[in-house]
Amino acid sequence: MKSLKQLLLALAVLAGSLGLNAAELNLFGWSEYVPQDVLDGFTKETGIKVNFETYASNEELLSKLVAGGGNYDLIQPSEYAAELMIRRKMLAPLDKAQIPNLKNVAPEFKGLAHDPKDEFTVPYMSGTVGIVVNTDKVKDSIRGYKDVFQAKFKDRLVVLDDNREIVTWALYTAGLPANEINAASLAKVRPIIAQWVKLVKVFDSGSPKTALINGDVDIGIVWSGEAALLWNEDKKFKYVLPAEGAHRFIDIFCIPADAPHKKEAHAFINYILRPDVSKIISRDFPYTNPNVEARKILSPEELANPASYPAGPAKLETFRDIGKAAADIDELMTDIKSAL
Amino acid sequence: MPASRPLIPSGLTLLNWFLRGWTALVFVFLYAPIAVLVVFSFNSSRLNIVWESFTFTWYERLAANTPLIRAAKNSLIVATATTILSVVIGTAGAWLLHRYRFRFSRAIQTLVAIPMVMPEILLGISLLIMFVTIGLNLGFASVIIGHVTFSFPFVLVAVQARLQGLDSSLEEAALDLGATPLKAFWLVIVPSLRPAIMAGGLMAFTLSMDELIVTVFVKSAASATLPVKVFDMARVGLNPMLNALSAIFIVATVAFVLFSEYLKKLSR
Amino acid sequence: MLAGTAPAVPVSDHNRPGWKAWALLAPMVLWLILFVVVPGLILLVYSFCERDEIGGVMFTFTWENYARVFDPVYLRIFGRSVWYAALTTAICAVVGYPVAYYIARVPETLRNKLLLLVMVPFWTSFLIRTFAWITILKQEGLLNSLVKAMGAGIGPFDLLYTPTAVVIGLVYAYLPFMILPIYGSAEKLDNSLIEAAYDLGASPVRAFSSVIVPLTMPGIAAGTLLVFVPAIGMFAITDLMGGAKVPMIGNVIQNQFLLARNWPFGAALGVVFMLMFVVTYVILQRRASRSA
Repeated sequence: MKSLKQLLLALAVLAGSLGLNAAELNLFGWSEYVPQDVLDGFTKETGIKVNFETYASNEELLSKLVAGGGNYDLIQPSEYAAELMIRRKMLAPLDKAQIPNLKNVAPEFKGLAHDPKDEFTVPYMSGTVGIVVNTDKVKDSIRGYKDVFQAKFKDRLVVLDDNREIVTWALYTAGLPANEINAASLAKVRPIIAQWVKLVKVFDSGSPKTALINGDVDIGIVWSGEAALLWNEDKKFKYVLPAEGAHRFIDIFCIPADAPHKKEAHAFINYILRPDVSKIISRDFPYTNPNVEARKILSPEELANPASYPAGPAKLETFRDIGKAAADIDELMTDIKSAL
Repeated sequence: MPASRPLIPSGLTLLNWFLRGWTALVFVFLYAPIAVLVVFSFNSSRLNIVWESFTFTWYERLAANTPLIRAAKNSLIVATATTILSVVIGTAGAWLLHRYRFRFSRAIQTLVAIPMVMPEILLGISLLIMFVTIGLNLGFASVIIGHVTFSFPFVLVAVQARLQGLDSSLEEAALDLGATPLKAFWLVIVPSLRPAIMAGGLMAFTLSMDELIVTVFVKSAASATLPVKVFDMARVGLNPMLNALSAIFIVATVAFVLFSEYLKKLSR
Repeated sequence: MLAGTAPAVPVSDHNRPGWKAWALLAPMVLWLILFVVVPGLILLVYSFCERDEIGGVMFTFTWENYARVFDPVYLRIFGRSVWYAALTTAICAVVGYPVAYYIARVPETLRNKLLLLVMVPFWTSFLIRTFAWITILKQEGLLNSLVKAMGAGIGPFDLLYTPTAVVIGLVYAYLPFMILPIYGSAEKLDNSLIEAAYDLGASPVRAFSSVIVPLTMPGIAAGTLLVFVPAIGMFAITDLMGGAKVPMIGNVIQNQFLLARNWPFGAALGVVFMLMFVVTYVILQRRASRSA
């Protein structure tokens, strides 16, 4: 009996030394999207060690989850990927009692289509896809996709190398719903896109600002974060939300159903929703901050950046999960581009 | 081998000059972007696309950026391990396939070439599935396995090219003198293969240092390599810190190569 | 001649592998089985499956993915990738050969250093190197400034985001992989053979084409393999330097996993791609060993 006790004790000590008891959090997030200061601050305050692993696309996140490669406690997908995960019952419902700071989330970011009852997700940062114009070179007023894709701008355009984005712009131009994609709607936008791609000089999702700064192109359709960096560099780069409608993406935090450290994950969500912490995130990543309390303490300059906080009414929509149509879009775009 | 041999027999200085000039031009081509990269590491513009003004800031900031330095260290660890394993597997494999008639020689030969043609994404995803199935935790081992898989064929092919037409009489002589085949390999074959082993090892190291896609799938948080980190940073704009890191690395290596003779003399 | 062809040595007793030789070969064979054959089989299975909306597959049998692979669209893309790879290989061989030959002929102490210097530029990160090329090739870039400063009255050249830029980028990336293997076989060239050719009155060009090149053929063949094969699947350079206007086979396969979430089709494309390679390789091997 005594020896059994000793053995158990020894095992417990061993487990402790292996760090099994130490509080930790396995965060799987977008690369370069959570400031190191924030991670360090969280560890300092709570004693919870953060293991931060990163990915560069929603699909990379999904494929790692599907293959079962890691035990993640907290993940950071975009809205359409989260919707898919909710439907597949891959996420754990949030315990809102553990996240008092949820009250800081702006009402416009609550009850959205991907998670209508806000059961699973908390918005982190948000942005849009819009038009950047080098106003030194282009004097026309550019208000929508139709103004961008004109024959006179041939070889003066950079657009995202993202098939779903391009198809979405064409759907808006044709006045079709952006989230109901089927064979008929794809057939309708096909000639529009075929016309457009001939005018484009560069397709680039990674760093579309490069071609704009270099002066190799004058107009771009890019992520608002890229536009914000351009605006900081030179005020000649103006950001416009397309009149026909534009994509608003929301990156969110959620907890996988099989997460081993759910309590720590809740603590982290609550921490990043604190206004002073959220302000640091805004400082490093000039996207739209959904945290109203944080926005109150941002500098006037930050709030004036038209790419982060675009003015004026515009039709903004998030992406819904479109299931198998993703493959049809890929086929359509491959077909069109390979004919170039 | 004589320490110095005539490039080509005398009287052909023209051809000689041509070779020298051509090589110089190719080195200009190889180092033009490197020169640009080093210059831009002193650029004060954060986005580092056009030149603004001179600064040392990025070198100071680099010293404080632990994740980036750790990624660089990881890359060196992975590339070194990959090189050693690739050289051993590749050289032994090339020699054995050359020396012996194995039953499945040709099939093995073809198999060796497949990782070179396999798109990285396929290798990455299938290795990930494989590792998860056999319960291997993602970490340094998984990354190194991935890298060796596509690197050692380069060593093997380079060494095989050298083996072709290699004088087999030396080995036979060694065998006749009573050396075991293994000993003959080590004492006779390896020295004469050295240039190809060196070339193969350099290729393996280089491939490993620069690989992104396979690594993305088989890495863990702790074993992310530099290219992964750089690709991640590209999302918010590459900054001159990365140029600074590359510059230090290249300038240090080139300086070491150029002054190694001098260093050797000093140490004597 | 092809790298990796079994030599035309008469089969004798000591060519027959004993258990020791097999034991030495075993690690490599095991490695190939574990990390090449098994992953290959996983892909083969996937290529007959149906896609799952989340990425990943549903295990039902279908030929559909293969039917799609042979759509002319994908064949055209494949053809274009092969063409770029072939062009790159040819340019690398022409540009790299004299360099490899020169390095192989300099004094021994210098040889390894030059070899290392050929490779060092590639120890930086791909993206950073490519951005440096963009700085050089862009409209208001270094090259055009240089041309303008020389006052030759030509230019400015519109290079970036054109096929020319793509080829420059590809040649840059793969040149070392041509130089190194050629060096490996040029280094062992016997000077007396070349001297004999000159003594017999051969012109430098003649000596080069009928003595030196044939003797270094294994190196050229190895270099061709090491450049051409990886270059077919390359797309990162094509995208960044060419503006991603035309898709390469590498893009199409990658997109199935990272964008379209259609793993089975991606796997099918990969399987066909690898099969085409294996068939070509085996045919070349056969022909080479027959002619040897």
